[in-house]
Amino acid sequence: MPSPTIETALARATDELPALLPLIEAFGPMLIAREAHRAQAPGWTGPPPEIDAERYSLGTPILAGVGFQDRSAELPGLAATLLPTLARSFPALAGQFDALAESIRSGSLPAQELWAAAFGQLPAVPGVSVHALSLAAAELVRPFIERQAADLLDHARELPWRQQVCPVCGGAPNMSVLRRVQDDAEYIQAHGGRRFLRCSCCASEWTHKRVSCPSCGCEEPDELVVLRDPARPFERADACDRCKTFVLCLDSGEMVDIPHPDVAALTMLPLELKAREKGYAPMAEHVWSGLGG
Amino acid sequence: MPKAILVDTTRCTACRGCQVGCKEWKNFPAVPTKQRGTHQNPPDLTHYNFKLVRFAEHMDASGKVTWNFFPDQCRHCLEAPCKSGASLEDSIIIDKATGAVIYTEKTVKESFEAIRSSCPYDIPRLDPKTRRIVKCDMCIDRVRANLLPMCVKSCAMGAMNFGDRADMLALAAKRLVAVQKDFPKAQLCDMESVSVIYLIVDEPAKYHKFAVADASDAMKGAPGMTRKELFAGMFEPLRRAAKQVQG
Repeated sequence: MPSPTIETALARATDELPALLPLIEAFGPMLIAREAHRAQAPGWTGPPPEIDAERYSLGTPILAGVGFQDRSAELPGLAATLLPTLARSFPALAGQFDALAESIRSGSLPAQELWAAAFGQLPAVPGVSVHALSLAAAELVRPFIERQAADLLDHARELPWRQQVCPVCGGAPNMSVLRRVQDDAEYIQAHGGRRFLRCSCCASEWTHKRVSCPSCGCEEPDELVVLRDPARPFERADACDRCKTFVLCLDSGEMVDIPHPDVAALTMLPLELKAREKGYAPMAEHVWSGLGG
Repeated sequence: MPKAILVDTTRCTACRGCQVGCKEWKNFPAVPTKQRGTHQNPPDLTHYNFKLVRFAEHMDASGKVTWNFFPDQCRHCLEAPCKSGASLEDSIIIDKATGAVIYTEKTVKESFEAIRSSCPYDIPRLDPKTRRIVKCDMCIDRVRANLLPMCVKSCAMGAMNFGDRADMLALAAKRLVAVQKDFPKAQLCDMESVSVIYLIVDEPAKYHKFAVADASDAMKGAPGMTRKELFAGMFEPLRRAAKQVQG
């Protein structure tokens, strides 16, 4: 099934869930910008890292010991367009994003340090909180690493990957989607679709066993919990009573237009909060995950 | 964007999941029938069966038997003859977003015979209790909620496909090319005029009398004219008048 544009998915979400309008208005422009920048970003350049089929199949991600290619030189240009978007979406942080933009423009915050900030090495920037810097750096770097990851994953499509972490970067999943895959097979096709986990870091997707906890591997039905709102049965939080974690899941098996996973995850924030209230922790968070808690 | 359903009969195993799924979603009761020596059951569409898998057996001169399956339903015509044949403006409406032809509660005021005879595929049926004229509505309630029509969702073989019309036409063309390698007679039924397009591998009449609009023999009272030609001629003056009004 085709996916609508991210704008279409956001418009539908606004119609269906008017109570989430403030949330959608805040993060929607950011998601649109993320998608647009990802489309324009250069992918992996040069030969890909050598993939040892045996090591990979045993659980060594493609970028283990290598890392993403540094695109810090392109961050100032992207910051000039993305930071004003973030400032409009989050008025309370507008002053900090303006200060960050000035630091980048003046060169007082070198691009390499901004790139490293996205991976947790946060420098001190005058007038910018750690949270604002972390959010901005992650969003600035994300389009580049997501494009690189898409290129790299293509080189391992035929190899088995049964891990609970990303086959490209080793990141944990913060989202999953059940997709009904249509192929030319002559045999009966499952209605439920395969389960794809989605990396919180680089947005790569990989298949994973459906009836199992992607965190601890638990397969006991009595310990696997599905939380959902009866009014939106295609949205669920797959939780595990053994390790007390959960991952959001969009069951797209009977959907006409499958929303973008980021938009789907955004509209599932109430479900995420419900899971947290019940004592489960997410395997990995979204940008908006801390809200409401 | 208008939607369409592609029914690839080459993949249909006549499991009747679509038929049952339709009844389940509509919450229709069972229809008492009799064993007639065929798996086609009930014998025809009813006011409680908007979808029916038709079975047709044929044997050629060499004794080879073929068994054709045809999941019959409303074609949701782009220019619906049933709507043109209705006396009220809003007894039969076309949903702009999907192209689905919807029969409303106002069909109680329409002549059932007139509506049924205007359909080149013999789809409309009369609900004797409500006196409404009924048929498949493309699961408009589900589609508006971004869910696949029930027949498409329930198809385990990938015979039923649903999506934007342009995508379904592209898929239909691709499948036709593939199927024609083994079945030179393969064709897409009335694809230019309907929203439910069937891919079949033999002559339409070997699937169902009304598989295509002009599969039937020449109409009684209109010698030499097929049903399709008859309806095209019947409604052409109306179309011309409407175009003049619209400018």
